[in-house]
Amino acid sequence: MNNYKIDDFSIDTLRIIDVNKLKLERKDSGYLFAEYEGKSYEEVSLTRLQPFYCLDAYISVSFRNNEEEWIEIGVIRDLKEMSGEQRQLCEDYLNFRYYIPVITKIHSIRDNRMGYLFVDADTTAGRKKIAINDWWTNFRINNSGILTVTDSDGNKYQIPDLNKLDGKSNKKLELFV
Amino acid sequence: MNLKISLPKDYSGNSEEIIFSLPFDITEKGKLTKGHFMADRNKMYVYGEKGREKTFEIKDFYSFEVFRQSGSSMFRGRRRDNSKWELFCCFSQTHYIRFAELAKILDFYVKTGELSETSDTQEPNCPKCGAKIEGMAECPFCAKRSGTVKKLLNRMMRYKVPFFAVTALAIMSYGANIIMPMMYRQVVDDVGIGEGADLSLFARIAVMIVALSAITCLFDFAAWKINIRLSTRFIRDLRKDLFDKIQLISMKSFSRRTSGEIIRRLSEDARVLQNFMTGNGRQMILNVAALMVLAIIMFVTNWRLALMVVIPLPVAGWAAQKIMKRIGAGYQRWWRRTCDSSKYLNDVISGTKVVKSYGSEEREIERYKGISYKVSKNLERAECTWYLLYPIMRYILAVGEMLMLYFGASYVMGMTITLGEFVQFTGYASMMYGPVYWLIQLPRTLTQAMVSAGKVFEILDEPIDLSESENALKCDIEGNITFENVSFGYTAYNPVLKNISFEIKQGEMIGLVGHSGVGKSTLINLVMRLYDPTYGSIKIDGTDLREMSSESLHSRLGVVLQETFLFNGTVMENIAYSKPDATFEEIIAAAKIADCHDFITRLPDGYNTYVGEKGYSLSGGERQRVAIARAILRNPKILILDEATASLDTQTEKQIQTALNRLIKGRTTIAIAHRLSTLSSADRLIVLDKGKVAEIGTHTELMGRKGVYYRLVMAQRSTSAMKETAEG
Ligand SMILES: Nc1ncnc2c1ncn2[C@@H]1O[C@H](COP(=O)(O)OP(=O)(O)O)[C@@H](O)[C@H]1O
Ligand SMILES: [Mg+2]
Repeated sequence: MNNYKIDDFSIDTLRIIDVNKLKLERKDSGYLFAEYEGKSYEEVSLTRLQPFYCLDAYISVSFRNNEEEWIEIGVIRDLKEMSGEQRQLCEDYLNFRYYIPVITKIHSIRDNRMGYLFVDADTTAGRKKIAINDWWTNFRINNSGILTVTDSDGNKYQIPDLNKLDGKSNKKLELFV
Repeated sequence: MNLKISLPKDYSGNSEEIIFSLPFDITEKGKLTKGHFMADRNKMYVYGEKGREKTFEIKDFYSFEVFRQSGSSMFRGRRRDNSKWELFCCFSQTHYIRFAELAKILDFYVKTGELSETSDTQEPNCPKCGAKIEGMAECPFCAKRSGTVKKLLNRMMRYKVPFFAVTALAIMSYGANIIMPMMYRQVVDDVGIGEGADLSLFARIAVMIVALSAITCLFDFAAWKINIRLSTRFIRDLRKDLFDKIQLISMKSFSRRTSGEIIRRLSEDARVLQNFMTGNGRQMILNVAALMVLAIIMFVTNWRLALMVVIPLPVAGWAAQKIMKRIGAGYQRWWRRTCDSSKYLNDVISGTKVVKSYGSEEREIERYKGISYKVSKNLERAECTWYLLYPIMRYILAVGEMLMLYFGASYVMGMTITLGEFVQFTGYASMMYGPVYWLIQLPRTLTQAMVSAGKVFEILDEPIDLSESENALKCDIEGNITFENVSFGYTAYNPVLKNISFEIKQGEMIGLVGHSGVGKSTLINLVMRLYDPTYGSIKIDGTDLREMSSESLHSRLGVVLQETFLFNGTVMENIAYSKPDATFEEIIAAAKIADCHDFITRLPDGYNTYVGEKGYSLSGGERQRVAIARAILRNPKILILDEATASLDTQTEKQIQTALNRLIKGRTTIAIAHRLSTLSSADRLIVLDKGKVAEIGTHTELMGRKGVYYRLVMAQRSTSAMKETAEG
């Protein structure tokens, strides 16, 4: 399938990056700098293709061209294939780009009966009062049991595994998800 | 907007000179931090946890931007010397709006040399709770909840006459009931048994009992009748108000909700409220009153016995609270699962075609089985707890009843009270249980009603953000359209159109081109005033759209979109939708021009053929022609065609193009077409690229310029060449 080609039809294929040929560097621009297969790219960004399920696998590497468009260089199949220092760099970048604190304990959930929710919770970014509008869409468990939260500012929070949450917090959650 | 929020703790410089200072909270490795970004007239400083970390000269940069990513944002500037971007700081989205405003100010400063030290945009956060309020008049998080109850009562006050009539009737009927036990006492005590029985008294009492029962029935019937009228009126008015409001609110707040959700509010929530207001609300008054009256009577008759009955009540109440909490959660969970289920059904049933064509019926059946199993399991659990409540309550109350019976019997034997009094007393005691049970379940109904009320009032109280100004201009428009520095985004942080300016003269045909997703449909949404621009203004014949009455604009606007929506109804009704008072001949004339007269004639019921969801299915091309007829009938000055022919094959497209060309004559037209060749008759083309106007000109001019348009045309030629090789 990978090299499917008919005459003039150039079909875009999935390009898996050979991590041994990839060299990434952190730049002052906030993006990465990459060298791959003899070419160098100035502004490079990493994207999780499955930000909920695979945090360190299937990472798309793309660069910003002069037209300010993002073009994919290829996909890293698994960060584990990379060397320690390169891998650390990728993880740091991803942690920054997908800065999503995890909720560790819920103190209270208040519903103002108008579709708005106030969640007082401990998160990995400290204790937060999270204000959520439209909680129907912005506070819910997806098909694989991850609770995703988006507050009124657009900050995201997660509870990746509800079973790991203490009983009291779970009880409070129960009414809203 | 305040852009000098706080200064770093260890800041020792002259704080007067600092114009901007905003806190930031994460590092470029995604770790928490505490820092400040500050700027004075010349320099920018970045303070981290260990004091000043970086200093920049503002004049070294020629552009500033804030870039929003999935979980964080960053503030950057572009260097003059090497055009390279420099990262200043990173932050969570909480700080996004302020940094975006700052970037705008600094960007303007380096480009023009003018520095506005204050920002006059609205403060983004509620001063009380800090939550984002985004253009809303009142912070939705701080809005008081008691408001809902008050609003509900206000609404109910519209029906105070029937409401109080019903309540009065019900109280009277209850009053008649309350006399009953007294009659029983008389029968037992005064009629006597055996030889000395007073049969005439017995007969009188019997007649009275029958009469009282009849009166009760009468009152009940009257109350019931008024109540039905009251409740239908209540729900009709409520739905009407909701529907009116839904028609008025803007596309922006409309698209925030799914249509399913809105329909739910109109039907379900309105119904819950109706039930509550006309059923439970009245019963609450009644039951509380009944309980009080019963208690008074019982205490007056015999306070010791009354105490026996009342003592278990607090215990029962406490137990009920405990159980109710669990039940509440259970029902809530069940409710969520039913929502899942209806969402799934909606999905699969509207996608039946896809399901069938992929042969995945079995898989969907399995999935539905799983979902409905969850629903029933949750309901089972909730109901089980609910039915546990009654036996437990009964048990607790029975303890009191036992005590009462025991002591009552001993009082009777000790001659403290008569047997008749005791019978009367037990009668009252048993009458108490009804209201008690009812009041126990009240919190649940109350919660449900309040949730629904909240949802209903959320819509009723929604501010109309596209409201027409009082002195909106009524005018007959000619069709000159002007865009002046128009910027727009569906959300604050994601601008779709940036600084768009152009002019379209009356009668001109404009082709709007650009990559998909560039904002072409968005631009025409603005012309149709489904949304208002964030900045800048759109004028028609020199009048800002916001100052023009909606009637003036829309009566002269004809629209044909890619997907035409046909309402349930006949072809004729669907064409006449744009002009309900059109004569039949006008309709035929329009159909002729739109080239749909012939196929309509061939339909089984001619112009009266049912189309729409369950009616006669028209093909894509036929639908489009009906839409064109609809647009023609209105005789619009401005015509908007958004990919009107995109979903059709080339042959049909050619036919429709002929119909369209007849329609376009003499009208200002904005046409979007995927196939650029269809725009060949355009007077001018406006090319959008990256949210901005890239080029404007005729086809020949733009081809000569070899810019964005040229590349689009070339790309299309090569794909159509490819198609030909593939087909041939
Ligand atoms: N209702 C909406 N809410 C939020 N974003 C939208 C909405 N409609 C369109 N967009 C976004 O706006 C951009 C422009 O869309 P659109 O105007 O439909 O493009 P075009 O018609 O040029 O293909 C797209 O990125 C799209 O995702
Ligand atoms: Mg479009």
